[in-house]
Amino acid sequence: MPPSSILQLEHVGRRLAGREVVRDVTFNVARGEVLGLLGVNGAGKSTTLAMIAGVLAPDAGAVKLNGLILHEHLATARTCIGYLPENVPLWPELTVREYLDACGRLHRMDRAARKRAIDRELLRLDLSGMANRLSGQLSLGQKRRLGLAQALLHDPELLVLDEPGNGLDPVQTAQLRELIQGLSDTRATIISTHVLSEVEAMCDRVVILHEGRVRFDAQLAADRGALDRAFLAIARDKTEIAA
Amino acid sequence: MNVLPVARLDLKRLFVRPFAWALGAIALGLLAWLFLLDLNAFLAAQPKLAAAPEANLGYTDLVAAPHLLTFVQLSLLLAPLITMHAIAGERRAHTLPLLFAAGLSPARIVLEKFLASLVFLWLLLILAALIPLSLAHATSPDWGQFCAALLGSALCVAALSAIGIACSAFVSHPALAAMAALLIALVLGILDAGSRMTGAHAGWLDYLALSTHITPFMHGLVRSVDVIYFLLLIVLPLSFAARRLAAEKVRG
Repeated sequence: MPPSSILQLEHVGRRLAGREVVRDVTFNVARGEVLGLLGVNGAGKSTTLAMIAGVLAPDAGAVKLNGLILHEHLATARTCIGYLPENVPLWPELTVREYLDACGRLHRMDRAARKRAIDRELLRLDLSGMANRLSGQLSLGQKRRLGLAQALLHDPELLVLDEPGNGLDPVQTAQLRELIQGLSDTRATIISTHVLSEVEAMCDRVVILHEGRVRFDAQLAADRGALDRAFLAIARDKTEIAA
Repeated sequence: MNVLPVARLDLKRLFVRPFAWALGAIALGLLAWLFLLDLNAFLAAQPKLAAAPEANLGYTDLVAAPHLLTFVQLSLLLAPLITMHAIAGERRAHTLPLLFAAGLSPARIVLEKFLASLVFLWLLLILAALIPLSLAHATSPDWGQFCAALLGSALCVAALSAIGIACSAFVSHPALAAMAALLIALVLGILDAGSRMTGAHAGWLDYLALSTHITPFMHGLVRSVDVIYFLLLIVLPLSFAARRLAAEKVRG
């Protein structure tokens, strides 16, 4: 295990409805690193993220957080992971502040810690002006920011973001990229997406999943052409299978 | 302390929605009106009651217990409407992964949601019970019978709430969940209608019917068979709901 690694996936596998969705997946994520988890629809990205977030337990292998097996130390792990699912989870009848307060309660934060964290995240995500607005009335970009605020509320070491740019316009996408880059200094970030440009703009490293397996794992700065070649190889595979 | 975070969240969501308030206000308004009608009939029947003291019917038999039974009958509709969003609503709002990621087990989520709906419905039951109790100083209620009727009503409302939670776990849309829960409650309510009309004994159909088990409570009789029936009607739907939610968590 590299010394600065926060998260390690070791030969992780998972079956869903009798189908092997994730097979023998191995990679690490270090503090300060933004890892892009790429893959076509159905490649196993969301299942992998759900295992990293502690929502699903792996059938094989181990997900380790700071060296501890995540599913054996869920209580500790929960305090280290911030998770934004693909669809922003919102209770539309609550105001932004009430929503974050409820999320803080779910993370077992005490009242004073919740208040401090809510004020901090409202400021960081530029939501202070709408703290008393109903969360259901926010625009899609604002909802994404609120989703990110709930993931950051307990100041996690590992941020897991599933398709964070879905449905955002170009301006909102640019703002989100800037935000994620700003957040990555002190924590590890995993972003799942199928948008190549998002990965190129935000990530230091890329892991490509295809049919549940890791098909590519490399630093982006090293060889940007390799990413295109990896995707072309996947496309060729799919064409051959179809033929 | 963050005790029961899901129950607190659900209660907060119930209380900020005008729907729950409106539903509660309509139910209590209707109950108050029906209470006045019952009271009027009770006052009108005083000469007959005085002429037949051996019948031994008083305020609790003729007004207070029937009033609680009316609340139970109203709960056939109230419970599905209050519980329909419990899990189906979370599913539509995509908030279930948030609850799972916070380390809450499916059983705990279901139990806390049941608790939240129960707090709301029992609050309405207490308010409904206060209506006949407002005349307690002027009448001489049979406190034993009244407490038994209140206990029966509380158990029946809890069972209806558990059925609502289970329907909400199995059905994707809250409105469908409410309809399914209402249908189950109505079927349980009318299962013994035939035997009641003909006077014949219908065996297990009678046993399954709600009225078979709520009626003794209304007469002041607390029987273990009735308590067990309601406890089963609470535990079974809740365990089905927890299993359904666990399967959903595993499927991702």
